[in-house]
Amino acid sequence: MDPITFSIIRHRLFRVIDEAVITLKHVSGSAITNEGHDLMVSLYRADGSLLMGGVGFLHHLTSAAEACKAVIRRFEGDIGEGDVFLTNCPYTAALHTSDIYLVAPIHHDGRLVAWSACFVHVYDIGAMVPGGFSPDSRDIFTEGFSSPGIKLVEGGTMRRDVMDTLLNMVRAPEMVALDLSSMIAANNVARERMGALIDKYGAGPVDEACAALVDQSETLFRKRLRKLPDGRWEARQYFDIEGETCRVLLAMTKEGDELTFDFTGSSPQSHYGINCTYWASWGGFFAPLFPLLCYDITWNDGVLRPIRMIAPEGTIVNCTRPAPVSLATVGTIQSVNNAACTCIAKMLSASEKYAREATAVWHGSHFAIFMFGLNQRRQEAIGILTETFGGAGGARTYADGIDVGGEIPNPIGRMANVETTEATFPVRYLFRRARPDTGGPGRWRGGNAIEFALVQHDSPEGGINYVVSGKGTEFSMSEGLGGGYAGAPCAYRWVHNNRARDAGRNVDPFPTSLDGMTGEAETISWGVFPLKGEDALYVRSDGGGGFGDPLEREPARVHADIEAGMVSEGVAASVYGVIMANGAVDTQATRARREALRAARLATPMAAE
Amino acid sequence: MSKQGDARYVVATDVGGTCTDAVLFAAGEPVRLGKALSTPPDFADGVLAAVGAAAEDIGLATDELLARTALFMHGSTVVDNTLLTRSGARTGLITTEGFEDTLTITRGAYGRWAGLTEDGIKHPVATDRAPPLVPGARTRGVPERVDYKGAVLRELDEEAVRHAVRSLVDDDEVEALAVSFLWSFYNDSHERRVGALIRETAPGTYVTLSSEIAPVPGEYERASTTVINAYAGRIARDYITSIQALLRGRGYDGPLLVMQGYGGLLPAEEAAARAVGMLECGPAAGVIGSRHLGRFMEDEDIIACDMGGTTFKVGVIQGGAIDYAREPMVDRYHYVAPKIEVVSIGAGGGSIVSLDPSTGVPGVGPASAGARPGPVCYGLGGTEPTLTDVMLLVGYMDPGTFLGGTITLDAEKAREIFVQRIASPLGMSVEDAAIGIYRIAAAQISDLIHEITVERGLDPRDFVLHAFGGSCGLLCGVFGAELGVRRIVVPYTASVNAAFGLLAADIVHEYSVTKTLPAPSPATEINAIYAPMMDRAREQLAAEGFADDAIALDWSIDLRYGRQVHEVTTPVQGGGPMDDDAVGRLAADFEALYERKFGQGSAYRAAGMEMTMFRLTARGLVERPRVETAALNGADPGRALIGRRDIFVEAAGRLAPADIFDFARLVPGNVIAGPAVIHTPITTIVVQSGQTGRVDAYRNTIIERD
Repeated sequence: MDPITFSIIRHRLFRVIDEAVITLKHVSGSAITNEGHDLMVSLYRADGSLLMGGVGFLHHLTSAAEACKAVIRRFEGDIGEGDVFLTNCPYTAALHTSDIYLVAPIHHDGRLVAWSACFVHVYDIGAMVPGGFSPDSRDIFTEGFSSPGIKLVEGGTMRRDVMDTLLNMVRAPEMVALDLSSMIAANNVARERMGALIDKYGAGPVDEACAALVDQSETLFRKRLRKLPDGRWEARQYFDIEGETCRVLLAMTKEGDELTFDFTGSSPQSHYGINCTYWASWGGFFAPLFPLLCYDITWNDGVLRPIRMIAPEGTIVNCTRPAPVSLATVGTIQSVNNAACTCIAKMLSASEKYAREATAVWHGSHFAIFMFGLNQRRQEAIGILTETFGGAGGARTYADGIDVGGEIPNPIGRMANVETTEATFPVRYLFRRARPDTGGPGRWRGGNAIEFALVQHDSPEGGINYVVSGKGTEFSMSEGLGGGYAGAPCAYRWVHNNRARDAGRNVDPFPTSLDGMTGEAETISWGVFPLKGEDALYVRSDGGGGFGDPLEREPARVHADIEAGMVSEGVAASVYGVIMANGAVDTQATRARREALRAARLATPMAAE
Repeated sequence: MSKQGDARYVVATDVGGTCTDAVLFAAGEPVRLGKALSTPPDFADGVLAAVGAAAEDIGLATDELLARTALFMHGSTVVDNTLLTRSGARTGLITTEGFEDTLTITRGAYGRWAGLTEDGIKHPVATDRAPPLVPGARTRGVPERVDYKGAVLRELDEEAVRHAVRSLVDDDEVEALAVSFLWSFYNDSHERRVGALIRETAPGTYVTLSSEIAPVPGEYERASTTVINAYAGRIARDYITSIQALLRGRGYDGPLLVMQGYGGLLPAEEAAARAVGMLECGPAAGVIGSRHLGRFMEDEDIIACDMGGTTFKVGVIQGGAIDYAREPMVDRYHYVAPKIEVVSIGAGGGSIVSLDPSTGVPGVGPASAGARPGPVCYGLGGTEPTLTDVMLLVGYMDPGTFLGGTITLDAEKAREIFVQRIASPLGMSVEDAAIGIYRIAAAQISDLIHEITVERGLDPRDFVLHAFGGSCGLLCGVFGAELGVRRIVVPYTASVNAAFGLLAADIVHEYSVTKTLPAPSPATEINAIYAPMMDRAREQLAAEGFADDAIALDWSIDLRYGRQVHEVTTPVQGGGPMDDDAVGRLAADFEALYERKFGQGSAYRAAGMEMTMFRLTARGLVERPRVETAALNGADPGRALIGRRDIFVEAAGRLAPADIFDFARLVPGNVIAGPAVIHTPITTIVVQSGQTGRVDAYRNTIIERD
């Protein structure tokens, strides 16, 4: 293939995806796709293999490929020009039922030449809890509509019977209809632009360029793997659901130019909906793999070829139907992400050439608060609090993690302004800030987490409901790297009757911290709760993991963190061993303190094997 | 508002990052152009040099010209430059207690990835935020709170404000203060009180209030805008004052009008208080100039392209209307101010051509050799092949006539380096490789234009393409044809785009009130929102010397569907005040605009419609002399034919012989059949085979399909 045509076609494929994403956002008009960028559009080859992945929620790049392949298998002989297929069955391809894939064949001169696929997290799917995240679901049957494959559009015409049936099963059908139209419009744009590309360059050369693009990614990725040291790296993630402790165990083996992700030893599947299906785990480790190992390589099937996964059946990383999975995306998938991030980072940091690419875990728990109820204008309001996308950066081998700096699997997420949320939901923020001391201590510090508190405000029903799908409260999920500490775990508090406990006394009605709140703070982590009356909800996300020994952090950096309010003097002394005196580092006291801390460490008995 | 007497020239100067341009003209005289290098940080020297260059064309000294000037218009990159070089004031921020980190945490990852290319975004481990203009340590939260309706929930603690101001000024030695509270655009009383307390406590401190500079929802972007204004405020003010003093000293005593990013001019005194207004005003002026040119030529739908040394910029004019940018940024800082949407990619004459080290795939830009060392063929020490070198290799540039013959291009050196770096590794001949690179650049540009028109729901085939800038004429024949535009116009003023735009601009004040009302709402309610804005606008324009008949007051209202995020600024037909019928028409217009912009089926009527912002654009119409047209002559361009050489002909896919013309000898009415090259003193225009070029009565070159 001549390199010029290849370069032009590659660039144009990028733009096809860009334009489809723009269209999707335009038609959808919803906050979660437009603010959170909780979406994905990608192109697939005629056999359903990933050709080019767009920047979106990266878990979906591989799952949508599987959706294409499932449609190809199921509808063989019945795939026509202008058709659009829907699948959201987690046991077929999707991560959970709320994430709907629409996949559409692209024909040229009557021949199937490619597929486009997109996903959005739809407004509602008819699960037991509005919005889909259902802490009390015990099987897939209570998690809403689920299809292993259905033709939604036939030959360019919407199948009304199918659409009406689907909309009949969801709350706010008009919002779901809009979600679906946005995906149809995005697929249409992808099809038209691919058609124009093929018209200009011919079906043969475009297909050749696509094949070359996939081969190129494989070649480059294998070359990179060969430059990295062989070895086996392990990571463990623990998380707690209602007293049940779950474990994701990952051993990543690199041999030559191949990688194996082995999850043997992970917990049996849970009876809570945090389980991953096979494809969710597969997507779960690719989400960090693409940006960590293939940041300069086109994300496509070529990257998948050198990879193997072992995920024993009946475990939380490969659950058996009908296990519930509605919270997978904020549940086990995060642990798979994190464990993969840790294993990959350990491998990278073992290489002089690639050590700069290593990172401790970002935003380990991916906490999520889902709201539903009536807003101040008496409209139904369902949606996620976008602080979920605030995140916290893991430390790098040469730099600190970024405070409230996002996450790896969704490289362009962002959170809404306080003013946007206060206008959307009947709530008022008491405070929202980066929480000092939450970033994992290390020679390079993990990014600090966000903390915020809400009270209801002007709610016509006296309050609104929220879903907490907590994990990472008892044990941090943002693992550190190279001796760096983990980030602080996350925390949820239901502050009962904030203000009233001290009735009659001088109570601050505008507390600006958890400590400043006067009600009783109940620790919560799982379930559906009301936010009513004078109650408050306090949430602290988890900090990013640190890198290296905190006792080796340059005292000047600790000092700067204290100045910026990102580390307290207490933690500076107890964890970093940096002693301040009169606003400056006391060098001598610091040296002594660090020596004492080292000595204390050496005196600590090792945990029994 | 122009000066009487023998002062008859209108002078426009635009200070860009590299060059300062001047355009001047008077009734009955042709337009004169001048160009000089920009001279940061004392930009005034470049301004005088550019004006001098244009004046020389009439045989006047700079002072003589200025003494005969009625109106002086000015655009400058000074504020952008302050941000890019981080040379603004030491600034502090006062905000609502509990929300002190709003600016530094940038809505999470947003401030980390915004402004990055796709390649940058795909590599999150290597990304960081830009260091904040105000670090956390110079931010103070004070007790106060207003809710989403504008109701005060917590009174402002004035003692805490005084304490914060004193500690920022005395301990942190800030020179400027930004004040940004939650919901202040609904209720500005707390911010105004803080402004007064600062003047009391620390007189002499430069102050910007968010409710004055950016009274719009979204506390992060509003705070960021306020901080940028405070940071660059004094520099902008001093700059404008110094230009004013300089002009006075040189004999000019008329008004100085300063360009704004929204495409209008402000009198110097007002512009001096709004530093953010000057951001990106050059590209905005370019789009205004394009619209003006379109009016002469009776084109309302225009894709305005500008390609210089480092970037390719494009703006879209539809039905004579111009879109504002949704999420503007300067460097990597967000701001909210009405700003004309101009999108750019790193593709210019100086863009470096390279092969990807791991894949060997060729690419153009975004790295640029800039003006120094510049392209290899300039012979100024450039060692990396650039797009300009490619233009030479495909025969478009003539080594002897570049920039009017002032520089002789080193074709041998360009060829040698291109072979070594590009052609040999690709295993291609020099010509084939150069043609390939040329095609990659053209394809990138047409992809960009396609994307930004699609973003607005537009079809490029309905548009006329304006090709401004030194490099655009070399490529527009190819990417214009691929996009299928109706025709291509290479304006006579192509090389001084922004300065030309200033000549076309009016004085424009933008006012707005943020308030959410259901649509429709009673007209009386809407009119009541506008009444105070209208009074303010009339007063302001009257004070600036505009008579009633030189004032235009346009209403427009932002609408959206309930529970949707996309807002569409919808013009109120026939202006205000409105009656209930007009409100009904407004809703219908919004629906039509929405579907056009966001596509069929995107309208979501189930949750009703809302009005969210009420805008007033108040225009003081600046009187200016008419640009003279020249008489049309015969079609035969023979007099201007200066040679024949091999150039890349797209349809042939290879180099083929073509006629070469000298623009200076072409006269209006001449028609040139492609393939052909036209050399102007500053740029080169390529007419492809299957296209015809024609010089119109304004000396613009019009390229059309045969």
